[in-house]
Amino acid sequence: MRDDIMSIYNNTEGSSQPVRLKDIEDQPGPYCMSFGFDIEPLKRSLRRAGLINSPLLIKNRHEQLDIIIGYRRIQALKSLNRDSISCRIVSYSELSDLECLLLNLHDNLSFREFNDVEKGMVLRRLSSWVPRDEILEHYMPFLGLSSHGPTLDFFLKLDEELDEKIKESIAEGHLSLHASKLLLEMDIDARLSVFQLISKLKFNVNQQKQLIEYILDISNNNQETISEILEDVSLKNICSDTRMNNPQKVHSLLRMLRSRIFPRLTDAEKTFKRTASALDLPGGVRIHYPPFFEAPNYRLEIFFKSGKELKDKIERLSRIKGVSKLRDPWETDT
Amino acid sequence: MPGFSVKKVLLEEGASEHAFAQRILRRLPETPVQISTPTESGEYADEEDMGKGTLHLVIHKGDFLKPCPGTKEYICCGYQILNLATNCPLDCSYCILQSYFNQPNLRVFVNLEEELEQVLQTIDSNPERIFRIGTGEFTDSLALDHITGLSDLLLPEFSKRRNTVLELKTKTDKIKGLVASKHRDRIIVSWSLNSPYISAREEHGAVSLRKRLEAARICQTEGFALGFHFDPLVYHDNWKEEYLKTIELMDRYIDPKGIIWISLGSFRFMPELKSVIRKRHPESSILNSEFIFGLDGKMRYFKPIRMDLYSFVRENLETWHPNPGLYLCMESNEIWQKCLGWSPKNSEGLSRFLDKRVGEIFR
Repeated sequence: MRDDIMSIYNNTEGSSQPVRLKDIEDQPGPYCMSFGFDIEPLKRSLRRAGLINSPLLIKNRHEQLDIIIGYRRIQALKSLNRDSISCRIVSYSELSDLECLLLNLHDNLSFREFNDVEKGMVLRRLSSWVPRDEILEHYMPFLGLSSHGPTLDFFLKLDEELDEKIKESIAEGHLSLHASKLLLEMDIDARLSVFQLISKLKFNVNQQKQLIEYILDISNNNQETISEILEDVSLKNICSDTRMNNPQKVHSLLRMLRSRIFPRLTDAEKTFKRTASALDLPGGVRIHYPPFFEAPNYRLEIFFKSGKELKDKIERLSRIKGVSKLRDPWETDT
Repeated sequence: MPGFSVKKVLLEEGASEHAFAQRILRRLPETPVQISTPTESGEYADEEDMGKGTLHLVIHKGDFLKPCPGTKEYICCGYQILNLATNCPLDCSYCILQSYFNQPNLRVFVNLEEELEQVLQTIDSNPERIFRIGTGEFTDSLALDHITGLSDLLLPEFSKRRNTVLELKTKTDKIKGLVASKHRDRIIVSWSLNSPYISAREEHGAVSLRKRLEAARICQTEGFALGFHFDPLVYHDNWKEEYLKTIELMDRYIDPKGIIWISLGSFRFMPELKSVIRKRHPESSILNSEFIFGLDGKMRYFKPIRMDLYSFVRENLETWHPNPGLYLCMESNEIWQKCLGWSPKNSEGLSRFLDKRVGEIFR
């Protein structure tokens, strides 16, 4: 393979010719790496300025035209109902598959960043032609990824195993990469069910991660299938409760799942809150427990407008008998 | 481990020049040997297996002696790790090495012999300090001893130094090399123990608790100091009865007076390990409990669960012997106080306590 991509590209100059758009496949073909893009800005640009750079096509062994460079432009022109455009065309004898792939890769890299689904497409296509070590060392950094084997494996799986709808959600930035990594731990049906729940209630990035981790934990701890967890009556009731909006449903659902994984912690939190609220603290005074009760200290918060108010509140606090009985909620009298 | 064998040796370029590597190769005359470059096998070729059948003889570029990576949030024992190999032929479901290293194979550092001089110099130039050194942090100390002969190399050097102890930590019964050696002083042979339930279900490749304790008894009879590590303590069904069985076994085989220390540490792990365990050990029940984020970013049991574990095991170990040298691994001052009834307050305090134990056992 020639290692200078520019020289490969230059060698294709000078062979522009008109091509009927209907003769070009709608699918991206073997060399293009576009997924989940918004075609409208490109259409507006083409309407206004016309086609500045001609796409590059290759005539394959079956005399069909595959796109090497310009997939988005061709899709935009098709949707503008153009009949034909000028393209540069090379023969399959002039460029190897890998050279076509690299031309597309570098052409894209020169003007845009790939989204995460596209990165998976790039890596999977490269993996047919390029040794794994070389992909790790050279191509992962091109894509802004670390040269890390498990990261490569994840992107390959993302491309190969995830459903189109999930990929679209990733490309659009709705589903986080972390969540998709966790979804890959599930079987296809479970993955789709969880994804549908995320999409329906519009979980944010942190909530997606929490939801999937909770579901995986419950499934693992209780030997329940993910379908059983999702079919649970209390979960269904939350989802169908018309008194709550989506963010409220998400909070309620996560709280319910959390209590299943953390029964002792949930009990401790409830006990502490009950004890603290029974203290009859002055207004604007709160007692907080540390996250998970892990750090040794509790925190007292006092809101006040003046030194006098602060002093009053402290004096009232010091008179509340129950304060000295505050303790870790799991401690007993014995 | 009972059926373990090295299927292949990978020999890093230049490694064969080291006498240590040559001795290992002589012990594996039938095993196929392949040359590798330092950059090859830089990642897991087979995540499931982690290269446990491949012995990789490599030249280690980093330090051989390193402090145990404790954190300021919890009290650490101030241990020093003699880093002579990474990865382990055993396959415990809870093992942190599954997500700790990104390189496969049983990697043995063949330049140890040459670099040991530097380690010994560090020890000798700090005569006022006690070096508690262990080799069992990134590998099992004895699992490959019949192949590497590491005990032949280490025991003579560490045995003769007054300001150090060498702890060899294992879940095997590979004590032949130790027993054959004439060196006993300043050497601690330690076993990781668990409940029979956890040992049978989660410690794949390790020998049974009975065999571990039989081996410990032989070492004790042979004059070695013993250590035990209940780490990780795991919360599971019938955990009290199960841990009691282990303590009863200890009572049957071991004279507690010869124990230098027993550590207790509850199961904790970097969050990344969770998905590795689910993938590599789908039958494991090790994750079935309430794990919260600790102050060091690791997952650990919710505090009262840890306290239950420590208090129960402590109470029963101290019933067996009033002064077994108990200490907690990576726990807070509060937990120390509540579960052991005293606290070293900080890592320096724990170091002092353990150094004192060294002084009491090795006079």
